[in-house]
Amino acid sequence: MIVDMLEYYSFIKKFNIDIIYSGPLWAEEIESIGGTLKKRMEFDELPFSASQAVFSVFVEQMNNMLMYSAEKQHFIHSDNRYSEMSKGVFILGAKDKTYFVQTGNVIKSNSAEVIKNRLDYLNTLNKQELRKYYKEQIKNENANPDSKGAGLGFIEIARRADSQIEYSFIPLVGERSFFSMFVTIGQRGN
Amino acid sequence: MAYFLEKQKTGSTPYVLINEEKGYMKFEGDSFHENVAGFFKDVNNWLNNYLKTDFTRFTFDFQLVYFNSSTAKLLLNMLLELDEHASDKQIIVNWITTEENDIIIECGEDFQEEVSNLEFNLVII
Repeated sequence: MIVDMLEYYSFIKKFNIDIIYSGPLWAEEIESIGGTLKKRMEFDELPFSASQAVFSVFVEQMNNMLMYSAEKQHFIHSDNRYSEMSKGVFILGAKDKTYFVQTGNVIKSNSAEVIKNRLDYLNTLNKQELRKYYKEQIKNENANPDSKGAGLGFIEIARRADSQIEYSFIPLVGERSFFSMFVTIGQRGN
Repeated sequence: MAYFLEKQKTGSTPYVLINEEKGYMKFEGDSFHENVAGFFKDVNNWLNNYLKTDFTRFTFDFQLVYFNSSTAKLLLNMLLELDEHASDKQIIVNWITTEENDIIIECGEDFQEEVSNLEFNLVII
């Protein structure tokens, strides 16, 4: 079946979406999409601190997806090296120079509770408290080298977001859930 | 033979220079590679060994424009390690950034609070 591109295009316009990506993610791909995002912010003449904040949220959300996605694509390189890439979907958009980043990926259901508790807690903190908490967590994680550091990424996102982090978890079959997270970043860049 | 390392920057990793003879290290650019720890491994290894030697003065020019939270973790670790050796040696960290880079300035202020022996200069250019 052929996709109705006009309908799709109208949908993208309606939600002020600039970039959509779906599929496997790897470091160079994040760099490349990040480059597109930076260019777009240049066109918008976004102040430096705001564009740094948007970029930071983008990078941390991508890293979280790499870390938590339970949907993997396997790849064997021509030299027989093996890679496992996390899959997910995300959109980037802007309206009146307020940017938003939304991600979606499959996670294990037992991660859902951990992530939910973290986000709920972060949503209760103000910017000063988040700054303090970030520093505390860096020290904790350094004292605890086994930690993968995902907690820190969420705090960084909360610090740069101009409102609370919105999220949802939709249960899937086989102990898995679909996790979606939505963050907006304003012109101040906090 | 004094150690010398120079890595050119890529889309997600910074320019790194280590000149042991001059007691000098510099990071410049962005750092947000998925495997930050892997990237900085040789820097960390060198630093660990170097700090045990009997140098008298070491300067670290930090000039990153953007870094992610995994890099932040690594940087604070590095600063704390430098600080440990700074009671009997002169260790200078120049945290160099621009006036508009709020995120880096704030982080510099926060990290400065964690060190007590080394000379930490927040330099706004």
